Amino acid sequence: MSEKFLSVKDLNDHYITSEADVWAVNGVSFDLERGKTLGLVGETGAGKTTIARSILKILPNPPAKVLGGSVEFEGKSIYEVSEAEMQKIRGDKITMIFQDPMTALNPVMTVGEQIAEVVALHNGGNKEDAKNRAVEMLETVGIPAERYVEYPHQFSGGMKQRVVIAIALACNPDLLLADEPTTALDVTIQAQVLDLMRELNRKNDTSMILITHDLGVVAEMCDDVAIVYAGQIIEKGSLEQIFDHPSHPYTNGLFGALPSMKDDEDDDRLHPIAGMPPDPTNLPTGCYFHPRCPYATEECKNGPVPVKELAPGHTCMCHKAGEV
Amino acid sequence: MAPMIEVRDLKKYFKSPRGTVHAVDDVTLHIDKGTTMGIVGESGCGKSTLGRTIIQMIQPTEGKIFFDGKDVTGLKGRELREFHSRAQFIFQDPYSSLNPRYTVEQTISEPLINSGRYSRRDIDKKTTELMDMVGVAQRLRLSYPHEMDGGRRQRVVIARALALDPEFVVCDEPVSALDVSIQAQVLNLLQDLQKDKNLTYMFITHDMSVVRHISNDISVMYLGQLVETSPSKELFRKHYHPYTKALLSAIPSTDIHHKMNRILLKGEITSPINPKPGCRFAARCDYATEKCHEPQKLEEVAPNHFVSCCRVHEINPELN
Repeated sequence: MSEKFLSVKDLNDHYITSEADVWAVNGVSFDLERGKTLGLVGETGAGKTTIARSILKILPNPPAKVLGGSVEFEGKSIYEVSEAEMQKIRGDKITMIFQDPMTALNPVMTVGEQIAEVVALHNGGNKEDAKNRAVEMLETVGIPAERYVEYPHQFSGGMKQRVVIAIALACNPDLLLADEPTTALDVTIQAQVLDLMRELNRKNDTSMILITHDLGVVAEMCDDVAIVYAGQIIEKGSLEQIFDHPSHPYTNGLFGALPSMKDDEDDDRLHPIAGMPPDPTNLPTGCYFHPRCPYATEECKNGPVPVKELAPGHTCMCHKAGEV
Repeated sequence: MAPMIEVRDLKKYFKSPRGTVHAVDDVTLHIDKGTTMGIVGESGCGKSTLGRTIIQMIQPTEGKIFFDGKDVTGLKGRELREFHSRAQFIFQDPYSSLNPRYTVEQTISEPLINSGRYSRRDIDKKTTELMDMVGVAQRLRLSYPHEMDGGRRQRVVIARALALDPEFVVCDEPVSALDVSIQAQVLNLLQDLQKDKNLTYMFITHDMSVVRHISNDISVMYLGQLVETSPSKELFRKHYHPYTKALLSAIPSTDIHHKMNRILLKGEITSPINPKPGCRFAARCDYATEKCHEPQKLEEVAPNHFVSCCRVHEINPELN
């Protein structure tokens, strides 16, 4: 099962406007195996969504520009295929669930039609089959078939997100990009939706990239984790490696800033990360985290930062990886 | 300790074309001086409406609110203004609760000017103090909200709320729009201010880890009703209401070695419009029987631990 399924190498994306050059993604590389779930974790503006969008080639250009790097999906280079071929891949092989179910759906089309539309586009246009498949998908995600004819505004937030999931999974994709799929939902509904996604992924052997800022969701859903800061993956490893042995000062900072749910811990005060995330139009030299890092020394302020392998599969981009 | 806030049988109904929305239905609670009461529940359960009614931004349909021992229900005019200088509100969204055309200085000094208590020079001095207190640099004095990030904006909102030295502050999801590292800064600030000024907080949130961290007591709401109230730490160890059990089990945990047994709820929250009498949760509850459709009472099942469920003893044999 270790075939190269998805391989992203040295991805660089900028948003270029007349006023500024935003360094959104700065040399991101990772691999994903078939059937696995990778969590991309980071704070607002870290570049998580831009990474996902450049895999699907749906970055708005202008202002976004892919300055370098490659994305290989099932042995094919995404950046070399034609737009026509890319359209076949999108929705069929790779699909995306967007963060906000309220805006991801077309308000003037019934939810059933929206699912059937995707299916018809990829199965050669047989309307009858598409409709049957849409009904089947609605039931799979727990929506009664008779709601096929209803419009998005007649659904609650959790139900809308189920419709979005049904659209994304209607063509049995190989790779699902889920961008904060449950952030807009309440916890009990989030639990239902995560459960549903996990079950469907297992059944169809779908791989997933799950973008989130919620470490709890990552713990529940992911096999591997990549921590994103200022457009770089600063630490990456299996779920156990990252959660049991977080090594980058930023990763440790993220865990430290969370209120503890454990009884035995003295949690009188939280430990925020000092300072603010850097301005992507004006990134610091050296390690992008050094102005906020309690362990920063002279060598961190300039020059490239090495990526060290701490254990098989566990890498950390830090001069002091494994020491702090 | 005397309660800072006491609420008795509070009801807030809204008329709508489709019927009456029971946003807050018969809520009774009290908050001791210098402590924090966390109000948790899902979207639409009435937690914000409860906060707004207590602070008298909207008038209750029925029930009484006591502030520092005094009945403040239905205050008007000068008395209401007086009350509002002692009881304040921090809104959820620092992006929309600041006037985009006001500088930091104008925003923070506005309540000082309106109160009529201060001279021009005192206002300047007090504004400087407030900015220092919440950790907003003086160089941002003439900045506009759009020039600041979410964390700083929320600090400005806090400074404005505390300008007139209130004793009681309702914080409605004050950190929900912030990233974790910034969230921790703001939560620490709120706790430091509480210690310094002996503030009483009502802290409304849907984030269980945040509420556990900051509250002394927690009340769980479901569709306008209070289902369980308990000292904060205890609630996470022992919870007796079926909804509380489901809610707490649904929190994604960062502990990858101990998986919680999840109780998945059936269906979605039901409508608060013209609800049936009795327990609102009964429609989704595994334990629901006939008597759940009769009005429920809050019962003290352990010291300071109240549950509103007629079957609480049957479901939790350990209570007997």
